Amino acid sequence: MPLGDFTPLLARPARAGRADGPATASRRRPRAGRLSSERLSPFVLMAPAVAVIVLFRLWPLLLGVNFSFTGDGERNGAAVGLDNYAELFADPLFLGALRNVGWLVLLLPIAVAIPGMLATFIYLRVPGHRFYRSVYFFPAVLSPVIVGSIFNLLLSFDGPVNSLLELAGLGPVDWLGDSDVAMFTVVGVHVWATFGMSLVVFLSGFATLDPALLDAARSDGASLPQVIRHVIIPGLSRTIQFVFVTTMIGMLTSMFGLIYVMTSGGPGGSTYLPEYYIWIQQGQMNRPAFASAASTVLFLVMLVVGLAQVSFLRRTGRED
Amino acid sequence: MRGARFSRWLIALPMALLALATIYPLVFTANAAMKTRRDYILDRFAFADTLRWDNIATAWTSAGTARYFLNSVIVVAGASALLLLLGSMAGFALSHLRFRGSRALFLGCLAALFVPFQVIMVPLVRTMADTGLVDTYPGLILAYTAQYLPFTIYLMTSYYSAIPSEIVDAARIDGNTTYGVYRRIMLPMGRPALLSVGVLNALFCWNDVLIALLMMPSAEHRTLMVGVTSLRGQYSADIPTFASGVLIAAVPVLAVYLFFQRRIADAVTAGSTKG
Repeated sequence: MPLGDFTPLLARPARAGRADGPATASRRRPRAGRLSSERLSPFVLMAPAVAVIVLFRLWPLLLGVNFSFTGDGERNGAAVGLDNYAELFADPLFLGALRNVGWLVLLLPIAVAIPGMLATFIYLRVPGHRFYRSVYFFPAVLSPVIVGSIFNLLLSFDGPVNSLLELAGLGPVDWLGDSDVAMFTVVGVHVWATFGMSLVVFLSGFATLDPALLDAARSDGASLPQVIRHVIIPGLSRTIQFVFVTTMIGMLTSMFGLIYVMTSGGPGGSTYLPEYYIWIQQGQMNRPAFASAASTVLFLVMLVVGLAQVSFLRRTGRED
Repeated sequence: MRGARFSRWLIALPMALLALATIYPLVFTANAAMKTRRDYILDRFAFADTLRWDNIATAWTSAGTARYFLNSVIVVAGASALLLLLGSMAGFALSHLRFRGSRALFLGCLAALFVPFQVIMVPLVRTMADTGLVDTYPGLILAYTAQYLPFTIYLMTSYYSAIPSEIVDAARIDGNTTYGVYRRIMLPMGRPALLSVGVLNALFCWNDVLIALLMMPSAEHRTLMVGVTSLRGQYSADIPTFASGVLIAAVPVLAVYLFFQRRIADAVTAGSTKG
């Protein structure tokens, strides 16, 4: 699920530790044993969480980067410098995966615009808006495995979608078997499955929009496109930024299930994404050090794409 | 906006079609699960004339789905409980207690949010293997806890921050220790947030396939989602049984969604507007 990555990118930790704590309270109690136990209490409360995060999240990150400079198999553990990286960028499968990331970046505005438009209509209370809101959100809680399995049925070459196309007089499309089409099919299914998530984020952004602005625009006779261009987009710039970044992270880190179920990276490796490549190298090829190098590249790609987006959106935001 | 009424209906039409496209795939699958193989091959779209449960029964028993289902329930329950416990303890400490390094710890949690699983999965599996946790329930429970704890801590911290410190002070004057405040004030008052984030975490863990694939290699420990992926090969010629397996995996999610829809949406959006 992509949900795990719907993180508060722009959040500030301003609230933490602001409230008056036990320091004052415990000073009032002179008993020594009680005092030291009280002193230690924040650390006791934090310790299990910190242990889990450090041990199973931060430590592996360091380990992995380190790992990527060592060899696999016969050269297990030996330092190999940048060999893994050199091999990585010579592998057409990995380059294909990076090219697909490029496609995702290009398709990103569409994946953001669709839920944005729908949220706008729901906010403007088209008939049945409540119903749409809960229906659209529903696929977002389904596992990629379930979504992928369902669309495997629907999109198979002799499947229902193609028979509908035939009724409409259109030729069958080999949705998952044609290497020029398959990646777009998978991305399309991903967007189908996740647009509801961005939709509710947009709607929560709309809740912070001043309705007086909209009323003013309307009474001035502004058209819908004008309202969107001059009231909604500037008013929601924070939310739009958030959705851009989270959608990108979702595309880079939560399509594994779909690829695994729908195409297994095929046909001809055309639907590889870095995360699937890492899994193949780790799980199937048993080359953990090489896979770590791919992980490190993915991390850098995400960092670069994320920062580029934020700065790009900031700049366009200022021009308005 | 002139002609607003007309244009609203004009927009509502494509929106209705999209709603249909959102629901229909699941309806199609449920319908396929109710058909015989023959009926499905003859006409995939026609609605099943009777509710037949044999395919569901086949998927549940002979395909091993029952076992996978149980594995998923064990792991999801364990991880959700552990996440709530650790998340609420840390959230309380970060929001209401003053101690050295609290800010650094909070920032550390935020940083951990941005480490995607794909980046750490290789060394994580090695760490788990070194400690003998691969292919065990505690191992997968810990992996899920590590994955979703930063998010849980963030949400619990921001929820608890809204509880006035006067309430905490009053409880202390009544003679409560910090642990007493946690147990008697924070846990009961945090119930709405605990429920929201608990439901969301349970969904994440239930739906995951990548972590489960890596952590549970043996067939007897497969979770339901991994089980569903293996059904496809097993029943590639028997679509109704395959569809039944998919349905079994989807129904608990559907039920949770119908009950907790609002809470899920709230928890998802909690991070987006606070910034």
